[in-house]
Amino acid sequence: MSHEALKFDKIAGPLIEKAKQDGAETMWDRDVAMKSRCGFGDKGICCKICNMGPCRLSPVEGKGAQRGICGATADTIVARNFARMVAAGSSAHSDHARSLLHTLHMTSPDGDYQIKDEAKLLSLAKEYEVETEGRDIYDIAHEVAEIGLMEFGKPFGTQRFIKRATEGRQKLWKELGVEPRAIDREVVSIMHSTHIGCASDMESIYALTVKSALSNGWGGSMIGTDVSDIIFGTPTARQSEANLGCLEENMVNILVHGHEPGLSEMIVFASQDPEIVQLAKDNGAEGINLVGMCCTGNEVLMKHGVRLAGTFYQQELAVITGALEAVVVDVQCIFPALATLSECYHTKFIATSPKAKMEGARYIEFDEERALEIAKEIVTEAILNYKNRDRNKVLIPQEKNKSTVGFSINTIVGGLDKVVNSNVDQLGTVKPLADCIMAGVLRGAAGVVGCNNPKVAHDNSHLTIIKEMIKNDVIVVVTGCAAQAAAKAGLLQYEAKELAGRGLKEVCERVGIPPVLHMGSCVDNTRILRLVTEVAKYLGVDTPVLPVVGAAPEWMSEKAVSIGTYFVSSGVDVFLGTVPPVTGSARFTDYLTNGLEDVYGAKFTVNEDPVQLAQAMLDRIEEKRTRLGI
Amino acid sequence: MNLFKVIYTGANQAVELAGQLVQKAIDEKGKDASVSFPNTAYSLPVIYAATGQKITTLAELEGAVGVAKSLINETTHLQDALTAGLGTAVASEIIEALKYVLDDEPYKAPIQGHLSDAQVRSLGVPLVTGDIPGVPVIIGECKDSATAAKIVREYQEKGLLTFLVGKVIDQCLEEGVKMGFDLRVVPLGYDLTAVIHAVSVAIRASLIFGAVAPGDLQAHKEYTKNRVKAFVNVFGDINEILVSAGAAAIELGFPCVLDVPVPEVPTLLLYQPDHEKTVATSLEAREIKIKVTKIDVPVGVASAFEGERIRKGD
Repeated sequence: MSHEALKFDKIAGPLIEKAKQDGAETMWDRDVAMKSRCGFGDKGICCKICNMGPCRLSPVEGKGAQRGICGATADTIVARNFARMVAAGSSAHSDHARSLLHTLHMTSPDGDYQIKDEAKLLSLAKEYEVETEGRDIYDIAHEVAEIGLMEFGKPFGTQRFIKRATEGRQKLWKELGVEPRAIDREVVSIMHSTHIGCASDMESIYALTVKSALSNGWGGSMIGTDVSDIIFGTPTARQSEANLGCLEENMVNILVHGHEPGLSEMIVFASQDPEIVQLAKDNGAEGINLVGMCCTGNEVLMKHGVRLAGTFYQQELAVITGALEAVVVDVQCIFPALATLSECYHTKFIATSPKAKMEGARYIEFDEERALEIAKEIVTEAILNYKNRDRNKVLIPQEKNKSTVGFSINTIVGGLDKVVNSNVDQLGTVKPLADCIMAGVLRGAAGVVGCNNPKVAHDNSHLTIIKEMIKNDVIVVVTGCAAQAAAKAGLLQYEAKELAGRGLKEVCERVGIPPVLHMGSCVDNTRILRLVTEVAKYLGVDTPVLPVVGAAPEWMSEKAVSIGTYFVSSGVDVFLGTVPPVTGSARFTDYLTNGLEDVYGAKFTVNEDPVQLAQAMLDRIEEKRTRLGI
Repeated sequence: MNLFKVIYTGANQAVELAGQLVQKAIDEKGKDASVSFPNTAYSLPVIYAATGQKITTLAELEGAVGVAKSLINETTHLQDALTAGLGTAVASEIIEALKYVLDDEPYKAPIQGHLSDAQVRSLGVPLVTGDIPGVPVIIGECKDSATAAKIVREYQEKGLLTFLVGKVIDQCLEEGVKMGFDLRVVPLGYDLTAVIHAVSVAIRASLIFGAVAPGDLQAHKEYTKNRVKAFVNVFGDINEILVSAGAAAIELGFPCVLDVPVPEVPTLLLYQPDHEKTVATSLEAREIKIKVTKIDVPVGVASAFEGERIRKGD
């Protein structure tokens, strides 16, 4: 257990104390019960893919079991386990995108789901070679959706969006034979090749892994972001607040938690419905207070400014406040523990997705065909639960911070236009950003993304790294729970420019932005990918040349492994703050942290000390600058 | 081009040169020889504003070289690069001050050199009222005299107070551009270091009109950035010292527009090869908006011509 978490976080301490009084169990309790983690699993040298096992290999070379029953070496086993993590991560993101495409397919002018960003749809239609002249926008949308859905299972060809990459990347992927084909196929390929008695060559397993990761970054996730923008609108800069202090004493508090925006968007509309609001008032509340968590929280934050309750690790703490009428969840990163935890309070834990039925949860299946109606039903259930709140058991920590969010690429380029001299340059390009980096005003850019993980002090690694970057004139973009950590700490405010070095501060003041830009949810990491690509294309170079780094300081999920892999494969160095289960193979570890550079021009760096990790990121940025001669 | 490296190199060169010249002056005049600019209560204004110290002798000027040197701290941070630029500014002021130590009249009309406090004070009202909407500082040698004159006249007609440094002075003289403090076209000197006399005006504006305390460098920088609408146009080749002087201008809030390629910094350091657009680019960069009511008459009409004297011969 990371006791530092409690020292660092003003909220966790009192709420964990309260949980003890309330007889509620938290992840910290379970972490203690876990005692020390299994060394074999920790190092990735435990294999359970067939029933001759489980096999576990000795972590010491030349001593003890060096091969599994089938003869698989540590290199093979570690690579296979890693590959399956990536496959799982890719599948989660991609299934998310698939849902959105189905939603796009059912959009209609008078339906619950409509087209909000026609320009983005038309540009995607053009990319997909869909006829748009004189056609109804919804006909176009439906055809685009069908083509998008084919990306998951088309029998031939490669992902369409790889054409969005730099020419250098496209050429490299082709040469290496890692161009991602159909999204689902790449997941299946990994499951096949990692079956007993299939692939045992470490590097070839990693190549399959890359294909699946790229099918996520340049496939599933990228589709997810685009389609979400088309249906729900491309984010624009807006104000909001973050942390558990956003819960309201005298309102019906509803938490949306999970990932897919199809549900949360409808909950947003339902909770604004005048009749529903009146119902809340009739039930003694002042109104409805919708708050978000994790990536679904990011989605509604970016698009509507819905306030953030907190990050991944705060999901239990939110319930422990005793002030939540309902936790509404869909898929991914939802603690099954919330079911039993909710029983300690009046909170209704409502699962909605057939993909993620939760034991002990109230299940209201979300059907896109009746989206708003179901959303209203869910909100109504929360309202009717308001009277059951036990005021003696309520503790809302008065901690929250203001933030400016909504930095899609459109928002960023729009901001950059403010510093364009109309007598010198064109509007609507990334030139100002590229110029600042080339001149050295900004030393580089860092994407800080990822989860929370009790193995390290919660949010501490995120914040340490982000602060270190901005202090050294490295502009930071954030997504996922890393973004939420920054939001809670007030780093997403314009005023946070005071923590930045002179170069970044100057940029913030002239463009009117915070030093840390929230670019969205975890599928929205593709926004970062595209921004980096745009800058590379503008400068006529390939991505690994740029002084750009990515970090997942507190990563925990398989999705994070897939994200990290697609970033490295796309030429962006990735810095990990928790150790992946690969150290059982010295060769595979060396391949990830050194070998990949020769192949992809980027590699992984791992260090659990955030100060050292930040320094490694800064060193790498300067190394790339020196190579560029800037 | 590693821009910061260029700035540090230029700053080091400038400071080294200043050190050498101070030594030479000491050898010639002795440590106790007095140092001052004519007609100012602010000693060496840049050094006075930055440190609060008044320099009176060559011995003290020698100490100021150390101040300039201390401003150069070679890191990868913009702040340090800009501060190093101030090192060049201080070195320039030292070098210009030496000219007045070694020669009673180092600058002869029409070349201005150091401006008097009285001249600076006379700018107070028109700067505040916006009668002088901006202060271009033009450095270098334009591709041809006609272009140089055209740009200067355009500023003049818009009422701006233009300072000239370098061969552009001769180019303008050649084209018959009327110059003088009253006409708001002021040739400062031929050496790059003469640019410090323009900086000196901005800094004294901060001391006099802004009542900013000597030594409060941060407050002086804010005043010049927010209140003195100066900007720099550089024509022709650049060298390290010029680039480092440009860093000083940027540190004081003055954008620089060049006609040779440089690593651009949005709003601050711009490359504009098209001289037809130099004026518009510069005014936009410094956010100077001028409402012009053009009177259709056969001569130039602007408040810049208010102090003009018609001589017998004219």
